[in-house]
Amino acid sequence: MELNISLAPEILFKIGSFPVSNSFFWMVVVSISLMILILTIRYKFKQVPGRTQAAFEILIEGGLDFVQSIIEDKDIAKKVFPLVFTLFLFIMLANLITFIPGSAVVLESGEGKVSLFRAVMSDYGIVIVMTLVAVITAQIVAIISFGPFGYLGKYFNFSGMKEFFSELFRGKLKFGLLAQGFLDIFLGLMDIVGEIAKIVSLSFRLFGNIFAGEVLGMVMLFLMPWFLPLPFQFLSLLTAVVQAFVFAVLTLMFISLALKIDDEDLNEKATV
Amino acid sequence: MEIIKALGIDNYWVLIAQFVNLAVLLFVLYKFAYGPMMKMLDERSAKIAEGIKDAEKANKKLEETESREKDVLNKAKKEAKKIIAAAEEIAEKNKAEILENSKMEADEIFRKAEEKIEEEKNKLREELKKETIELVMMATEKVLKEKIDSDKDKEIIEKVVKN
Repeated sequence: MELNISLAPEILFKIGSFPVSNSFFWMVVVSISLMILILTIRYKFKQVPGRTQAAFEILIEGGLDFVQSIIEDKDIAKKVFPLVFTLFLFIMLANLITFIPGSAVVLESGEGKVSLFRAVMSDYGIVIVMTLVAVITAQIVAIISFGPFGYLGKYFNFSGMKEFFSELFRGKLKFGLLAQGFLDIFLGLMDIVGEIAKIVSLSFRLFGNIFAGEVLGMVMLFLMPWFLPLPFQFLSLLTAVVQAFVFAVLTLMFISLALKIDDEDLNEKATV
Repeated sequence: MEIIKALGIDNYWVLIAQFVNLAVLLFVLYKFAYGPMMKMLDERSAKIAEGIKDAEKANKKLEETESREKDVLNKAKKEAKKIIAAAEEIAEKNKAEILENSKMEADEIFRKAEEKIEEEKNKLREELKKETIELVMMATEKVLKEKIDSDKDKEIIEKVVKN
């Protein structure tokens, strides 16, 4: 056995010029099984619930309650809930599917040995796509709730400068207002940096955790295949669920923040 | 950039495919699973709320009817008592009347009977008188053995009897 650690997903085969990597393959598998699973449950839904339905209802209602506790508006919560809940289920299923034994299966391909299995979330491409979906959704929500100008005004904040110049035209020179104006602009630009940092932190948190878990498991398996990987397996089991939850909740947080920035919030930021 | 290649995100077609995959997943689940499911849950909770409301209504109605029933029963009892009392009164009255009537009738019958007896008595007396007269006539005829004039005879006999 040899260690085969690669940051990028390995290509299994090609359809035309499109390379199908092992993580992409498993992403499709996980997506389809999730759809089948949930649609099966949904089409067995009855007015009087059975056991499976009751459990799923508890999951949905609990999730919805949680979303509502963060986003106070009920209607918006109902619109946001599917995105957050799907992200949670998808990431969790994708992480848990790696615990099916057989992760050492190796395929011979043109470029040498390629492992068939790879944790879906250890492909940075998938994670960054999900992160972009989450962050862009939050930005769209912000644009809808504050209007395009309110939204841009958050990042390019000239309100302090305007005040300084209006005072200047009245013949008063207030350097405090000038400093305030520069601070506003600076903080607005910092918010842009913050948005980019959000993307980086959100994506690398998930990717890093899962990838590290995979590598750690592989290394432990390599060092001693008996019993030693077990505690690390438990650890990555915990990570699998927790990271799915964290990703979904952070997405929810971004959206709720996008809903909540009001003038008061802006003033608070401006007067810091 | 080195890192982009290292992370395996250099092929934008792959990224687009991944996005499409995610979008399809989100769309399918939203359209066919969560939407109907949440609708169903809402409908059910509305139904349950309605059911509770209905049950409360029914309870209220039941209480109302119960109290009404009691009222009706009480009224009926009172009325029945009244009717019985009135009936008793009437019966008492009727009894007295009937008693009086029967008394009167009895008196009447008694009186009539007495009258009849008196009449009979008189009739008998008259008949007896006639018979006696005849008997005496016969006797006197036999005694005298001789019949004078029938009219004279009768006259004489009548005189005798009267005396």
